[in-house]
Amino acid sequence: MEFVAKRCGVKFDPPSIILVYEDRKTKKIRQRVMPVRNFSKFSDCSQAAERLKNNARHRAYLEGVPLRQLERLHDVLRDHLRGRTLEESLASLRLDPDQDLNKLSDEELARKKAQMDELFERNRKRKEDPDFVYDLEVEFPKGDDQETCSWDEDESEDGF
Amino acid sequence: MAGGTSDISELDQEKYDADERVKVICLGDSAVGKSKLMERFLMDGYRPEQLSTYALTLYKYTTTVNGKAVLVDFWDTAGQERFQSMHPSYYYKAHACIMVFDVQRKITYKNLANWYKELREYRPEIPCIVVANKIDADMKVTQRNFNFAKKQGLPLYYVSAADGTNVVKLFKDAIKLAMSYKQNSSDFMDEVMRELENFELEQKEESSDKEENVSKDEKTNLP
Repeated sequence: MEFVAKRCGVKFDPPSIILVYEDRKTKKIRQRVMPVRNFSKFSDCSQAAERLKNNARHRAYLEGVPLRQLERLHDVLRDHLRGRTLEESLASLRLDPDQDLNKLSDEELARKKAQMDELFERNRKRKEDPDFVYDLEVEFPKGDDQETCSWDEDESEDGF
Repeated sequence: MAGGTSDISELDQEKYDADERVKVICLGDSAVGKSKLMERFLMDGYRPEQLSTYALTLYKYTTTVNGKAVLVDFWDTAGQERFQSMHPSYYYKAHACIMVFDVQRKITYKNLANWYKELREYRPEIPCIVVANKIDADMKVTQRNFNFAKKQGLPLYYVSAADGTNVVKLFKDAIKLAMSYKQNSSDFMDEVMRELENFELEQKEESSDKEENVSKDEKTNLP
């Protein structure tokens, strides 16, 4: 890899994606601004991200940037075009364990699921993996010495 | 979800009365991993039936229980859970329930109480398994006691749809429980109906006029 990606960001006007990277040869830290073209509040962010990643001029610089991350940056750009604040936009891309996801719209829920999928994919055992076991049974010891779950502490309020 | 959900009571569910068919339903909040669990059990390449007009996904599965072929329909919510409540037809004729929460999100655990309450309104007797999913994210949770299951006298399974821990066991046990519920259903009306059906068949075979009334009395006096 010629360029080592360090950090990513966005610029709203004109809509652009910013990459801070290190040039391997010169050992210099540089910044690259990549304008996102033909992008509107109706655009498909995953397609736009793919287009950028495969762009002939930017490809080499974006090698170390995961597609998912580029997609999220496009989400932020599109949210801005739709009139959302940066805070709202970032919150929708973050997982808040106390948030009730039942109340989200399809698109918002999809964002949260995409976040969760990252952990899922990291921990995923696939059929092709040499140590894959279809019927994997693990017994977890049961007994009175088990820790009580802190989630049960406010029991009375919920009528559990 | 923006409206447009047809009435799932239009679906033909009489088929679940056949001996070799069972219906197992999944319950739980959005994004607890219900579909991921189904997919891990059935493995990739499986294409479920999307009944999007009913906000419902059906997974069909064939297996053998005690040497008998059994057709299992797994019902998954496909977003219907976002109304915080399911259509009564979702519960109708179900033989077992798999109730899932996400060990990383307390609210999904707390909401079990609501799901369970609704389940029991429609299906007071069917077996129900509580599932603690995503244990791969934090194995320490398997040391914890989740009181809800214990309090309701329900079995609790620690599973991970990602690495597969206890997923197959969960579904196999759910099918077994569904079958045994079906065979030993304590639903009184079901039993009465079955007795009456048997009686009518016997009657036709006997064809003895004078004994008819006597035997009828005997039958209806069954406990």
